Amino acid sequence: MVNIPVLKEVTEANTILADYLRSRFTHVLVLNVIASPGAGKTSLLERTITQLNGTLKIAVIEGDPTTSIDAERIAAVGMPVVQINTQGGCHLEARQIQRAVEQLDVADADVLIIENVGNLLCPTEWDLGEDIKVVVASLPEGDDKPLKYPGAFLKAQAAVINKIDLEPYIAAKAATMRENALKINPGLAIFEVSCTTGEGIDVWLDWVRQKLAEKRAAEG
Amino acid sequence: MHEMPVTQALLDLALEHAGGRRITDIYLQVGRMAAIVPDSVEVFFEYLSEGTLAEGARLHFEMVPLEMTCLDCGSKQDLSAWADQPPHTILQNAFARGCACGGKNLRVTGGVSFGLVSIDVEPES
Ligand SMILES: Nc1nc2c(ncn2[C@@H]2O[C@H](COP(=O)(O)OP(=O)(O)OP(=O)(O)O)[C@@H](O)[C@H]2O)c(=O)[nH]1
Ligand SMILES: [Mg+2]
Ligand SMILES: [Zn+2]
Ligand SMILES: [Zn+2]
Repeated sequence: MVNIPVLKEVTEANTILADYLRSRFTHVLVLNVIASPGAGKTSLLERTITQLNGTLKIAVIEGDPTTSIDAERIAAVGMPVVQINTQGGCHLEARQIQRAVEQLDVADADVLIIENVGNLLCPTEWDLGEDIKVVVASLPEGDDKPLKYPGAFLKAQAAVINKIDLEPYIAAKAATMRENALKINPGLAIFEVSCTTGEGIDVWLDWVRQKLAEKRAAEG
Repeated sequence: MHEMPVTQALLDLALEHAGGRRITDIYLQVGRMAAIVPDSVEVFFEYLSEGTLAEGARLHFEMVPLEMTCLDCGSKQDLSAWADQPPHTILQNAFARGCACGGKNLRVTGGVSFGLVSIDVEPES
């Protein structure tokens, strides 16, 4: 027998394609939004789009296991959107993004937002060529989520704690969730928001603008 | 269903490294928190590898325990002693304990990924 060392993550081929896509995504800030089902990904996109509209051009890729409901919500707020149905698959992969950008004019977009499939496990393993992974955590789902899904928080650069309008009615506390998230990843930028009331969204949007400016400055 | 894409990915990666030779064994490392169930990988592998040079290959899974690294002194702690507890409890306790050096800045540095270590192939005849 001949033993051949490989020493790679099994998703290596996806990562190579993602790196290629990243090299093509110049001047556009790409966000990969990851969260469990119903945490508020689409709501965050709607808020972000509506409030940035007029100042920044946004394009959206919607991942969904079966339906086009979320893509319709995005189209309703007037943004170019491409829908990827994963046929039940639990995450998006780089080759799906490659196909989606063929149908979407990202060349003159400022921000490309990808809504991943609702799942906190697998999407973190599949790089999509994004600049930033954003994990959205819904407060009523429990403030221990970062400890239960450390992979997502470990690989993200930003965590959006959503549904803080419900805090008075539940045991989970945004401060505890923040603390748990920082234990997993001290470098995380954390935003406490309510997509329903709009609270905290401005701080999040300032951060997105700042990241876009940083990316463009680095590109020269 | 969830192990199917990773199984396809590991099969592709193994075949790519086999250089056209038949694969007999595949050595894998599964992180305790990688959310991968070896039994499911086996099932999908049997199905996906059919008709390829990896058909019939044996899969060997090495479970990788959670590992934390202290940012203050660089020492690593292996959390396998607590492997019977749920992972989030292990993590919570590890953060509370901190490091032997007194440091409290720990990072998770192992036990979250699914890696292909090596493959055995038949020698060219
Ligand atoms: N109270 C409250 N409800 C919210 C908030 N954000 C979202 N929701 C509600 O949560 C539900 C799910 O929101 P979505 O934005 O569809 O969540 P999602 O993560 O896109 O869901 P999937 O794509 O199906 O995984 C909807 O009923 C929203 O109205 C919030 O800040 N506060
Ligand atoms: Mg959605
Ligand atoms: Zn999955
Ligand atoms: Zn130490």
